Amino acid sequence: MSNKHQNWGWMLAVDFFFAGMGGGMLVIAAMVELFGGGTRMSLLGNLLGPVSMCIGCGFLMLELGRPLRAWRVFMNPKAILTVGAWMMSVAIISGFIYAAMAIPLDLIFWRGWTTLGKCLAVVNLVTGLVVATYPGVLLGRLKGRPFWGGPGIIALYLLSSLITASAVHFLSGLLTPAPAMTIWQALPGLIAVLLLFQLLLWTGYLWIKQSGATAAEANSAQRWTSGDLASAFKIGFVALGTVAPLVLVLLPFPVARAVGAVLALLGGVTMRLLTIRSGEDRTFLPGEQKYRLRLPTGDEEFLHKNWL
Amino acid sequence: MTRYAMVMDTRRCIGCGSCTVACKIHNELPIDIVYNPVTTIGPTGTFPDLTLSFLPLICMHCDNPPCVDACPTTASVQRDDGIVHVVDSKCVGCLSCIMACPYGARQHNHETGTVSKCDFCKDRLEQGKLPHCVATCHQKARIFGDLHDPDSEVSKLLKNNRTVQLLGELNTEPQVFYIY
Repeated sequence: MSNKHQNWGWMLAVDFFFAGMGGGMLVIAAMVELFGGGTRMSLLGNLLGPVSMCIGCGFLMLELGRPLRAWRVFMNPKAILTVGAWMMSVAIISGFIYAAMAIPLDLIFWRGWTTLGKCLAVVNLVTGLVVATYPGVLLGRLKGRPFWGGPGIIALYLLSSLITASAVHFLSGLLTPAPAMTIWQALPGLIAVLLLFQLLLWTGYLWIKQSGATAAEANSAQRWTSGDLASAFKIGFVALGTVAPLVLVLLPFPVARAVGAVLALLGGVTMRLLTIRSGEDRTFLPGEQKYRLRLPTGDEEFLHKNWL
Repeated sequence: MTRYAMVMDTRRCIGCGSCTVACKIHNELPIDIVYNPVTTIGPTGTFPDLTLSFLPLICMHCDNPPCVDACPTTASVQRDDGIVHVVDSKCVGCLSCIMACPYGARQHNHETGTVSKCDFCKDRLEQGKLPHCVATCHQKARIFGDLHDPDSEVSKLLKNNRTVQLLGELNTEPQVFYIY
């Protein structure tokens, strides 16, 4: 049996990237609104938060076997995917209403309602935090997937969401200046700190998994350090997606910082693609892997020649 | 209240694969989907003391099924008699249940876009028949019955033999027991 039956694809990884980034952007915007002394992040940055989540939803729908029935994912309150879907829906609506308050149009009749802005910021903070965190919770709960199981991956996903969110807010501020200029100018420093934390966290996570409680955990971690995922992890995520942006955002040149922010986004996508790929690993039952390798995939030439 | 369970007597299983074929034919499964593989373990040991054993795998119809809570559409349900199955009309093919199942019991059917799995041939049970794999097994290595009936064969086998459940440490409480 091929792996096509057994694992999520790249579209879910991209969904997690956009959703997490969008959620993180809402959190940052909300924090500035509530504690920033009456200022806001840039209009573009505030708009890109809910837009990013919409893009994530699009990829999630495309990943489904029956995309036109996507509305059904709202049905089971016990399922983490359902909680995420509801929270994302509320976050998108709330995010757009909040972002629109900075648009100087009479049509936006609520743009001067300060109290509404604060209330929306609270909603954005809570829902954005959930959206940024729930993919990690979803993966961490899956006991049968040794690389994901446990609370560590929650921190990794939340951290990556905040990094990518900060990066996009910074890039948005380069294009459309943020009223909260002081806070915007501090974003490169924040990104650098979060990237350093990410490096440390991933080192610890892989070390714990590699010396893990089961052979399945150790084998799955070995794919990252010296296996088939090692090159993409070390080059794509560590070097280009974490260390390089960590250095670049600290340089006093806007171009260098912008490049660093873009590389941080690359790191976020790479991380999610690799972690989703790692879901192929399961605690296989005795003889199972050998059995499944011998099964047809449906693409064999003799099938197409004679029967299909 | 009925609670269906299955006992696999690995001492009797000869790895013929009849159960796999019977299930595949009667459920009209696509070529790349197998509900109940029979894996081979071995040969192990040193000649002439070699052993070869077979492990029939199937959906465990767990008492604490992680796939049911993982399903966002309530397509994955567990009946009162313990049978876990997929309501095809509700399934959107998100694969959450596949990722949640530690036994690899569920598969994504690319022809329909939904997830499918063993359901203990619940339609046959309603007619008083046994699941196809159990009825086909000429070695009587598969025994099916009501765990809550002390006179059932499964209950007696569990009482009189050492059994093991696969991946029991994951707290899924599988209802397929293996005699070894």
